[in-house]
Amino acid sequence: MAGMTRRQVLKSAGVAAAVTTSPWWRVGKSAAQRAKKLVFWHLPNFTPLADELQKQQVYEFAKQAGLKEADVEYAVVAGEQAQQKLAAAIEAGNPPDVTRLYESNVQFYASGGHLLDVNDLVDKMRREPKGIFESALSSVMYKGRAMGVPLAVNPWPVHARLDLLEQAKVEYPKTWDEFIETSKKIQSPPRLFAFGMCLGLVEDTTDNVMNLLWCYGGKMVEADNKTVVMNSPENAAGVKVIEAMFKTHKIIPPGAISWDNSGNNKAYQSKQAAFVMNPTSIYAYLDGNDKDLQKVTGLMPVPAGPKGAINQIDTWAYGAFKKTPYPELAKGLLEYFMQPAHYDKIIQSTGGRWVPVYKRLFDSPFWKEKPAFKHFIKMAETGVPVSYAGSPTPAAGEVLNTHLIPKMIQRVLVDNWEAARALDECHKRIVEVYARYARG
Amino acid sequence: MRSVSGTRRLLRWIGNGLLVVLLVWTLVPFYWMVATSLKKDKEIYGFEATLVPRQPTLANYTRLFAATPFTKYVRNSTIIACSTTILSLVFGCLGAYALARLRFPGRNLIARGLVFTYLVPPALLFIPLFTVISTLRLVDTHQGLILTYLSFSVPFCTWLLMGYFRSVPLELEEAALVDGCTRLGSLVRVILPMSLPALAVVAFFSFTQSWNEFLYANVFVNSVEVRTITTGLTLFVVEDVFFWGPMMGASFLSALPPLVLYLIFQRWVVKGLTLGAVKG
Repeated sequence: MAGMTRRQVLKSAGVAAAVTTSPWWRVGKSAAQRAKKLVFWHLPNFTPLADELQKQQVYEFAKQAGLKEADVEYAVVAGEQAQQKLAAAIEAGNPPDVTRLYESNVQFYASGGHLLDVNDLVDKMRREPKGIFESALSSVMYKGRAMGVPLAVNPWPVHARLDLLEQAKVEYPKTWDEFIETSKKIQSPPRLFAFGMCLGLVEDTTDNVMNLLWCYGGKMVEADNKTVVMNSPENAAGVKVIEAMFKTHKIIPPGAISWDNSGNNKAYQSKQAAFVMNPTSIYAYLDGNDKDLQKVTGLMPVPAGPKGAINQIDTWAYGAFKKTPYPELAKGLLEYFMQPAHYDKIIQSTGGRWVPVYKRLFDSPFWKEKPAFKHFIKMAETGVPVSYAGSPTPAAGEVLNTHLIPKMIQRVLVDNWEAARALDECHKRIVEVYARYARG
Repeated sequence: MRSVSGTRRLLRWIGNGLLVVLLVWTLVPFYWMVATSLKKDKEIYGFEATLVPRQPTLANYTRLFAATPFTKYVRNSTIIACSTTILSLVFGCLGAYALARLRFPGRNLIARGLVFTYLVPPALLFIPLFTVISTLRLVDTHQGLILTYLSFSVPFCTWLLMGYFRSVPLELEEAALVDGCTRLGSLVRVILPMSLPALAVVAFFSFTQSWNEFLYANVFVNSVEVRTITTGLTLFVVEDVFFWGPMMGASFLSALPPLVLYLIFQRWVVKGLTLGAVKG
């Protein structure tokens, strides 16, 4: 390297970069080269039975569609890694035909023009007796068209230690004020804190914080998906309640400010928290790993604030990619999955992890036998997405992924800012995000 | 006034102290991995962190081998890492010899290009490389990953060997050529036997890099039949729940092959690193 001038170094770097990235011109040819094949990327479930059933259904459909087993590519992709794989596959023009997507992904890929319009399929689902939960639709609708098929409602109940409530001879709290008082009675820090509220710089914090703010009349954006209202007095009131829970009442573990998305799961699973707001992944984990704790776990609605009790839900979806050389095959698989008889088998096999989008499936004894599932139907009917009162738009997805709300709450809890000041800073950032997307 | 021997003793103590710190720094995570793999879930998630498992169990290992395709992951990692190592050695030796000994136009440019190629970060390359691999229809194959890994292992190996080959006296090779050896013969019979420490370094580097690589393996491979250990480990995380026991067991087992290799070739690796690194 000795004797090279800066200009030579830059030239060499430029040549190396051009040579190594030159295959871009071949983008788009890959999909066309693919032989007739059905490619499905499966994101693992908690229960092996659900995984197995899903696999079976893919092969059953393929057989009906006249494909041989060798014509099916069934890949198991770890959820956390799916985004990198999808990004590369889309750029190379070779995405899977069908995969499962989280709700912000549907909006993201739909806005990029990558998803196949499945409006006809969703319309068909809505025509089923009793129809589907309309709350599940907001995540898959993009510019008035369904760009994904709602696969399951993912409620965020409060996982509550009923045994501790019983020991303390108290009921599950109906309001957040009662929640604080009950928490003080049942906790015994540092071994057991009452409320495992996620407060780290992660997505779960946005979910937990917003859910509480809604109960105090707060929200991030109005239903027009344009007017950001983060700096409202209602939000300030809610933030002050969280601040009091953390600093004054000390019912939230101090370590919660550095938790990742699994922090609240771990706190509950290790019996170090009596209440956590989380999807039922915790309940599903307990089903396979700690039946004793599962037995004393209630899946409860969020306590009410001055403006009532609002429960968060998000919706998972199936997406089919536009680049598929065989769109009819991809849509055929989606239709097969969503036939209520096939669908019900998979939903029930998840043991409560997924809540069905078809209302009539709640008539099954499966949903009535376990007291833990009692509140699911109401949550599915009335639940709102994290972007409430707005829809799960790409802008809302960016707010979630860039952790603007967790940064706001940490300003209050760590930097000791006034709630109004922290909300004002957060408001300005969210306005910037929404304005950028509005400009296109 | 402190005597010279006193100062030396103090320095030795400081040095030893630093070594102990580094040793703890290196071994504690490894120990924690092993200990966690021998604990039950309730102990892993318990309020008190236990250094020694209270009721050691092999259940996590049983689960690993009985309920997951872990052995397939090991097989795939072995095939890919060994193939990459062998091919890197072959191409690295030939390339390094040519660059060190032969005179041809563009030699310096190629030598510099090797470094630049090695320095381009994988995060920048994974999409274009995926396009190449996809166009060649090598997605989800062992060959695809081996070819990809050669893109970072061959430049490094060639660069390192080039420095080492230059340190071998030219006269020895000339004597072999005078005695009727071909260029290839002199490489195989004269230079390579004298470069064993460098070859050990190169082999060790290629193996560990291929064994531990994650990004390309994650993007280029879909099926269990080709999946490597690093990407297999991610399947122990479902949504926001981590299955620590089997994950730590798998991590421990996957750390063993590079460790054993290093212990076997330690003498040569250290020699190769210290010699090859300073001769260029």
